[in-house]
Amino acid sequence: MNTSFLRVSVWVYLAIFFAYLLGPLVIMSVTAFNSSEFPRATPWECLTFDWFSALFQDQRILNGIKNSLIIGLGTVVLSVAMGLAGALMLTQIWPKLRATYYTIIIAPILIPGVVLGISTLVFWDRINRFLGLGADSFLSNGIFLTVIGQSTFIASYCMLVLVARLQRYDVALTEAALDLGATHAQAFRKILLPFMRPAIASAAVLAFLASFENYNTTTFTFGEYPTLTIELAQKVRYGITPAISALAFIIVVLTVFFALLNEAGIKRKEVVAAARRQATVGEMTGKVRLPGFFTGNAAAVVLVVFAIATISVVGTATVYSPAQCIADVKEQKRLEAEKRIQELRKKREEQRKQREAEQAEQGEAQQSAPKPSNNSGFGNVFAPNTLSGEGEDDAPETDTDEQPSGGNGGFGGAFDPNSLQSPSD
Amino acid sequence: MPGFLKEFLNRNGTGMGLAILGLVLFWTIGLIILPQLSMLDFSFRPNLPPPEIGGPKDVYTLENYKYLVYGPEGGSQDYNVVDLRIFFRTLIAAVCVTIFNLILCYPIAYYLGQTKGNHIRVFALMLIIPYWINEILRAFALRIIFGETGVLNTVLVGLGVFDTPFDFIRNDIALYAGLGYAYILLMIFPIYNVIESLDHNQIEAARDLGAPWWRIHWRVVVPYAKPGISSGCTMVFMLSAGALAAPQILGGPSSLWFTQLIYQQFNDNNDWPQGAAYAIVLLVTCILFVLAAMRLFKVNMGDIGK
Repeated sequence: MNTSFLRVSVWVYLAIFFAYLLGPLVIMSVTAFNSSEFPRATPWECLTFDWFSALFQDQRILNGIKNSLIIGLGTVVLSVAMGLAGALMLTQIWPKLRATYYTIIIAPILIPGVVLGISTLVFWDRINRFLGLGADSFLSNGIFLTVIGQSTFIASYCMLVLVARLQRYDVALTEAALDLGATHAQAFRKILLPFMRPAIASAAVLAFLASFENYNTTTFTFGEYPTLTIELAQKVRYGITPAISALAFIIVVLTVFFALLNEAGIKRKEVVAAARRQATVGEMTGKVRLPGFFTGNAAAVVLVVFAIATISVVGTATVYSPAQCIADVKEQKRLEAEKRIQELRKKREEQRKQREAEQAEQGEAQQSAPKPSNNSGFGNVFAPNTLSGEGEDDAPETDTDEQPSGGNGGFGGAFDPNSLQSPSD
Repeated sequence: MPGFLKEFLNRNGTGMGLAILGLVLFWTIGLIILPQLSMLDFSFRPNLPPPEIGGPKDVYTLENYKYLVYGPEGGSQDYNVVDLRIFFRTLIAAVCVTIFNLILCYPIAYYLGQTKGNHIRVFALMLIIPYWINEILRAFALRIIFGETGVLNTVLVGLGVFDTPFDFIRNDIALYAGLGYAYILLMIFPIYNVIESLDHNQIEAARDLGAPWWRIHWRVVVPYAKPGISSGCTMVFMLSAGALAAPQILGGPSSLWFTQLIYQQFNDNNDWPQGAAYAIVLLVTCILFVLAAMRLFKVNMGDIGK
């Protein structure tokens, strides 16, 4: 196969793949700045920052963030502790038990979150009843249940992260400390913990993120403490507004920011290490140099550009007012809606005329042969659908088409609920 | 066993040893095993108001499982067609999502695993970023795109592919795209991890011996990557069968996901034992399915999670 063709197709595939991966996030972020009531990128109406203020005035969202932080903190502490204990146990356990033990502690990753939530709820409800505590006891508290439920599987993630580093630990270090007279607790705190610190940090970040975004388990256990994810799910299910896009945009920006920060940090270490090796060469070359932090560090450059962009956007937001534009768009919409109503009326009128003509032709034939379900002789006027149709959104159109003798045809489209709705959308 | 325990305490010190043991026991027994057993027990009990629990009416019954198969007693149909259809549809759709993800992710994982260079780090970062964003928000983003006035419909109608907006949500296309989207990373990373350790010389050797590219993959890369592929598929299958957020947000109004039925039993009908029974059925079926698939493709349990 031709290599250049292969290379092009690889890049096309990568482009499609990352478009699928990142496109939704970009479009969602864009909708946060569109003044349309419904989150959409097209048609573009006005640039607005109102959705951000709407977001920060939403008490439920703020309360959800607070609950999420509390639960996240609890989950981090509990699951990192259990994950570390589990990892230590895994390196020491009796070989015959090892496989079984590993299966048990890895299983929560594969068990559906829904099942974990239910089992936590049922089990602690039972313990609660067994101890004879009331419905408002600590054990049926939403925060407690959520932390417990989430930790069940997040601890498995932590364990996997921690055990990877623990395998590179030299047990001789602990033994040396013990020989030198340290207690076990001291050896743990001064030898093992510092060695494990990077892994513990990444396990903690992972645990917090997993807790923050968890929905399946939390939805059964949250009780009276809905987390941010729960509140978001409620909002998304029962009517979506661009305020959610605004929140998503903030989260996307924060994520990208921290990812770049992390990347820049790693890169900086590499650059410093490289610079140390080639210190003499670096001093010889008398080129114009960027400040030390940026040399050969693309991530840091992007980070700074990104930060400047954010600051300038926030700056614009404080002075920018889209009121005029919004008014223009409203006016335009009103005109469009009016035009649509006119068209609809005209169409109805034509339909009615056509129907009357048809009725005149078929009138006799229809009366002589009524439908079996309708033997009253009044035509379809008293058919249940005719009356109920008035109250339903989509009914009139189909009803009037099916029932040529209907009494509501004479009003044209004026009383059609659709024509009343159309100005509002 | 006590010998093992004594040795364990000796090695870690009594205080530390007890702390480790306590945490591990709390996790494995208190959080993993007992709640599952408790749910299993609960699923065999009738739905009683709290005062009657533990009373004479609180006996074991198969009622909740019978309900899934036969429907309400004295119902018009012989079988609980609605729930069973949802159940099988969920399983089949989860399989389809898994296969779709595998086909989509295998080339990417292979590319990332076998290519060296700085841009790979950027790609890895771009892969991880969407995964840090809330599950709900990811589903929400897809809903904006697939909605009736969404970007995709605007583009497709603008290009003249469709005359009228196509309802992606009612046709469940949005749901499948959303489920696939949610678990891409879980498919890529296990495969990537394995392929990364594949010696490139093996591929070179196969190429030198005249194998076409598809045969290189079929005979060299795929057999080598089997553990990664199987653990990726297992994770994606289990998680998409157990997904709740994506179906709630992206699912059509007329088609439910099995987890939504469980959710309804708990939150709307307030019938916990029934919900627990459905959850058990889901869990057991998924596990059996995965084990059967692993036997079919000759993968060992030990390879999973590598």
